[in-house]
Amino acid sequence: MQEWANQLCENRQFGSKMTDSKYFTTTKKGEIFELKAELNSDKKEKKKEAVKKVIASMTVGKDVSALFPDVVNCMQTDNLELKKLVYLYLMNYAKSQPDMAIMAVNTFVKDCEDLNPLIRALAVRTMGCIRVDKITEYLCEPLRKCLKDEDPYVRKTAAVCVAKLHDINAQLVEDQGFLDTLKDLISDSNPMVVANAVAALSEIAESHPNSNLLDLNPQTINKLLTALNECTEWGQIFILDCLANYTPRDDRESQSICERVTPRLSHANSAVVLSAVKVLMKFMEMLPKDLDYYGTLLKKLAPPLVTLLSAEPELQYVALRNINLIVQRRPEILKHEMKVFFVKYNDPIYVKLEKLDIMIRLASQANIAQVLAELKEYATEVDVDFVRKAVRAIGRCAIKVEQSAERCVSTLLDLIQTKVNYVVQEAIVVIKDIFRKYPNKYESVIATLCEHLESLDEPEARAAMIWIVGEYAERIDNADELLESFLEGFHDESTQVQLQLLTAIVKLFLKKPTETQELVQQVLSLATQDSDNPDLRDRGYIYWRLLSTDPVAAKEVVLAEKPLISEETDLIEPTLLEELICHIGTLASVYHKPPSAFVEGSRGVQHKRLAGSAGSGESVESPDTGSAAGVSEAPPAVIPSQGDLLGDLLNLDLTPPTATGPPPAAAPGMQLGAMDLLGGGLDSLMGDESEPLGGDIGGSPAMGAGFGAPPAAMPASFNAPVSGGLDDLFDLGGGVGMTMGSYTPPKTVWLPAMKAKGLEISGVFVRRSGVIQMEMTLSNKAMSVMSDFAIQFNRNSFGLAPAGPLQILTPLSPNQTIEAALPLSTVGPVMKMEPLNNLQVAVKNNIDVFYFSCQYPISMLFLEDGKMERQVFLATWKDIPNENESQFQIKDCHLNSDAASNKLQGSNIFTIAKRTVEGQDMLYQSMKLTNGIWVLAELRVQAGNPNYTISLKCRAPEVSQCVFQNYEAVLKN
Amino acid sequence: MISQVFILSSKGDHLIYKDFRGEAGSDVINVFYEKVTALPGDQPPVVMSHGDLHFVHVRQGGLYWVATTTADSSPFSLIEFLNRLACLVQDYCGTLTEKAVQMNFALIYELLDEVVDYGYVQSMSSDVLKNFIQTEAVSPRPFSLFQLSNVGLFGAETQQSKVAPSSAASRPIQSSREQGGKSEIFVDVIERMSVVIGSNGVLMKADVEGEIKVKCYMPNCSEMRIGLNEEFSIGKSQLRGYGAAVRVDEVSFHQAVKLDEFDNNRILRLSPSQGEVKNTLSIH
Repeated sequence: MQEWANQLCENRQFGSKMTDSKYFTTTKKGEIFELKAELNSDKKEKKKEAVKKVIASMTVGKDVSALFPDVVNCMQTDNLELKKLVYLYLMNYAKSQPDMAIMAVNTFVKDCEDLNPLIRALAVRTMGCIRVDKITEYLCEPLRKCLKDEDPYVRKTAAVCVAKLHDINAQLVEDQGFLDTLKDLISDSNPMVVANAVAALSEIAESHPNSNLLDLNPQTINKLLTALNECTEWGQIFILDCLANYTPRDDRESQSICERVTPRLSHANSAVVLSAVKVLMKFMEMLPKDLDYYGTLLKKLAPPLVTLLSAEPELQYVALRNINLIVQRRPEILKHEMKVFFVKYNDPIYVKLEKLDIMIRLASQANIAQVLAELKEYATEVDVDFVRKAVRAIGRCAIKVEQSAERCVSTLLDLIQTKVNYVVQEAIVVIKDIFRKYPNKYESVIATLCEHLESLDEPEARAAMIWIVGEYAERIDNADELLESFLEGFHDESTQVQLQLLTAIVKLFLKKPTETQELVQQVLSLATQDSDNPDLRDRGYIYWRLLSTDPVAAKEVVLAEKPLISEETDLIEPTLLEELICHIGTLASVYHKPPSAFVEGSRGVQHKRLAGSAGSGESVESPDTGSAAGVSEAPPAVIPSQGDLLGDLLNLDLTPPTATGPPPAAAPGMQLGAMDLLGGGLDSLMGDESEPLGGDIGGSPAMGAGFGAPPAAMPASFNAPVSGGLDDLFDLGGGVGMTMGSYTPPKTVWLPAMKAKGLEISGVFVRRSGVIQMEMTLSNKAMSVMSDFAIQFNRNSFGLAPAGPLQILTPLSPNQTIEAALPLSTVGPVMKMEPLNNLQVAVKNNIDVFYFSCQYPISMLFLEDGKMERQVFLATWKDIPNENESQFQIKDCHLNSDAASNKLQGSNIFTIAKRTVEGQDMLYQSMKLTNGIWVLAELRVQAGNPNYTISLKCRAPEVSQCVFQNYEAVLKN
Repeated sequence: MISQVFILSSKGDHLIYKDFRGEAGSDVINVFYEKVTALPGDQPPVVMSHGDLHFVHVRQGGLYWVATTTADSSPFSLIEFLNRLACLVQDYCGTLTEKAVQMNFALIYELLDEVVDYGYVQSMSSDVLKNFIQTEAVSPRPFSLFQLSNVGLFGAETQQSKVAPSSAASRPIQSSREQGGKSEIFVDVIERMSVVIGSNGVLMKADVEGEIKVKCYMPNCSEMRIGLNEEFSIGKSQLRGYGAAVRVDEVSFHQAVKLDEFDNNRILRLSPSQGEVKNTLSIH
């Protein structure tokens, strides 16, 4: 036999090496001829060897069907081993030689009567596998006998054979009454027979959805549950899968089934465990949640799932895919088992990735620290793919668990410091998402990101970085340079980067119109003229048209507020999840697709749904079965009320200034920029008519109209808002009373309506009899009523904080304006701001939260008791080192020294002494800030010279600049 | 339900091919091999689809063990089946190599015939199967250039000759019935140590995993007892004795092992059926 095997190997090698096909066929013929001779030999051993050789050739794909009659001749033997080999051959070739197969029928029928149960079963089994129509009628009689055979081995084989026969000829099976016999076998004494009968019936029932074949009622369920305890593991799987299709009548029945299925959870065969999990997950829906048993069951589900993770990697992977579903449906089962999902270094990569996914799903505030530490560890591993996914996972954690966002960002920054190229790139992509989720919160990291600009070489990271630069252009000083550097190799970039670059530069232009005009023209012409990518070209044209027709609208569109992203985007849709839960432990749960998506349609695939606990009596298929609770609601979408804003814009342009507020400060400049663009940019575009692209533009009527319209509209839209704004400013300035001679600047617009969905806030800071107040005018320029106002400050240099809530008690109806005064205290949290007197404010109403920042005059903070004793002043002046002194010039001030002194006194700047040296008045002044810092000043006023010189000394020299600005403001008004 | 089962060598040669339900042709073998070799690294190879046909495969002994199915059946049972099949083949052929499979193809076909009927797994326990299997295994001659185990250093007689060669346990279980003579039990203790050392020389991870394998060639083995070191302690349980104790994080046992005496006396009682019984200990 050894020899023969070697020969087989040699033959195969020989065959595969041969290239001369002619020679190859002749050898083959010779080989078959040889085999034929051996098959007809008288010696049993030789026959057996020959059949083996035939089967070996069959396996490697050679056609040995020509030997059919010779092999069938060997069939009549009492040697079981030879018989099996011949049957093996028959099963393979009967289909291609149906006429010849009939030759074998007699032997089959005879074998079915054999004394040896092994031979009886073998014959029935093989006959069923010969898928030839003609043979089936001969099969019926033997099959009927075998179904009632005394030996369970034969019966169980016969049970499966019914399913085989049904597949070939369904009508025959029904006519012969095999189905009833099969149903009787469910009550067989041998559990193996029961299991096979259940399997066969389930399969037949699947092709007749309405046949009620597998009539599951409490009695049969009881039989199945009894057989469950006795039969082999594989039989248990059939039975459990069958049970999963049953719908219990009430919660008591489902509890009793659950109780009897639960012991299967500790089985060594993972398929049994998962089938049991499926039954339990399904029947659990029926149980009332307050039942003690429900809690017990939940606890019992965790250990078997955890055990699966110590199996072979293939099983682990399949188990993880299923756990992923279970975690989404019932996170409580595994919420304490985070540790088992930690990645082992020797897990295959596909297992690692699945584990990561589940870790994120299980992440919560309670375990986030542990998870982040673990993820950070992964990010330093060697496997690049895995490291990338780990970095992504950190980002997803930040988005999922809001409280952890800060920690996640700092972890990402740590990772960026490693300077490992792919880690940095991935981190930047992730930070972009974090910015989307938490706008205006972590912008401090932008500087760090910009440092790594050079090292980005992957399109996704470059695109993300460009997006960040464009989005926060106003906070990045050299945004234009950064973007320009990308522009150099524009045509070598991938489409993703090109599109992002285009958008970012347009954003930058809308934010800083004056400096970036050239840049935007450059990118627009690159996108529209030199690119053959239709997406890029179209987007370029859209921006161009927008910018040239209506820059305000362009701002609306390009800088529109983006809907917040949430972690729900990667969750499976609830209805699909419900269906997949019904298919736990099947391929559907591995693909995460419903079976209908990958199983051929003919096998009646029903969409299974979970039964709700409310509808305990309803059938599973019933469409109105109460879908289970806990289905997540639609994520809150932030949609800016575009209609209102449009109306608002129209108002701005057309109606007299009385009803409208001033436009955003940037608007006039921006429109000027746009006009230039119209002049220069368009001409050059129109000039290129000879190119196909140019022709394209000319041919488009919409384009022409877009170009033609703006010049006419320009003067109107340019003049109206500006004059309106000025009037308004003047109005407001006059409206606020000037008290006690202290200087109060006019109100300025802090929050333009455009940025805040119709809410406009203008305001001013005043100090009245020792109390700092923030006086605000709130106007509703939207169409809907606003209410529920609230205000909050970010930490700031002097700890300013609202001393009470914002007193706006009545809702603000459209076009209404309301005045509000907010008393401020100086005991809030302190953080140094740049500039020092910058204040970041958040205002909330029923629509959204808006952020703006404003600067308060530092005189707000000068205390009434800021007059120093002369001696103290002298001592302090000397005490403060000279490097803390700063000098400023105040130009064009025509007050004499006394008038100045009086005026300053109104702002709590006290003159302590006055000296006159050579016609120059020197005023020595002091002031005290709310946080106890003293500022000393020497003001020199020379008669006839409108320029004052001021020297400031203070222990905290940072405030000098602010104080000087305040002097200037007070003295000039 | 299993539609087909096939075994491929690592180079893609067809070793075994069996169709149970006539749902697809044998051409899918090549489709599978192309798919599995073209797979990028981070794609899970466990389940792959080709039209209506789904491949589930595992790798054991350097071979691809593949099952196909058309229905939405359980990948757990398919994987579990393939793993058990590989075990069964190892039990029957002695070793799990390409050559052993090639030489024993008739035996494997016979096994498959008994184990699966019309795609339904019937029984995979070697106890049950030995009643049905007729073909005898052919063992490939073990590789031995000099019979190294019998030759001591410089040809000196050493104790080595009394030790059975490591290949002794890799023989088919069936032969015991025919040869009648040798009733043997092999207990292998296998330990694997994995250490990861960082580029800076710092030890990042070190763990030891081990298992005790029992291979039984006794026709009727009623019960056997394996005594472990008394100082063997698991998890956080208290140390016993004073010597160099063995502390293990986690232990799992084969289902045939009875643990009544384990807690007190560290004795494992098992009534092995013929073939391999694994008792895995993982130590950290």
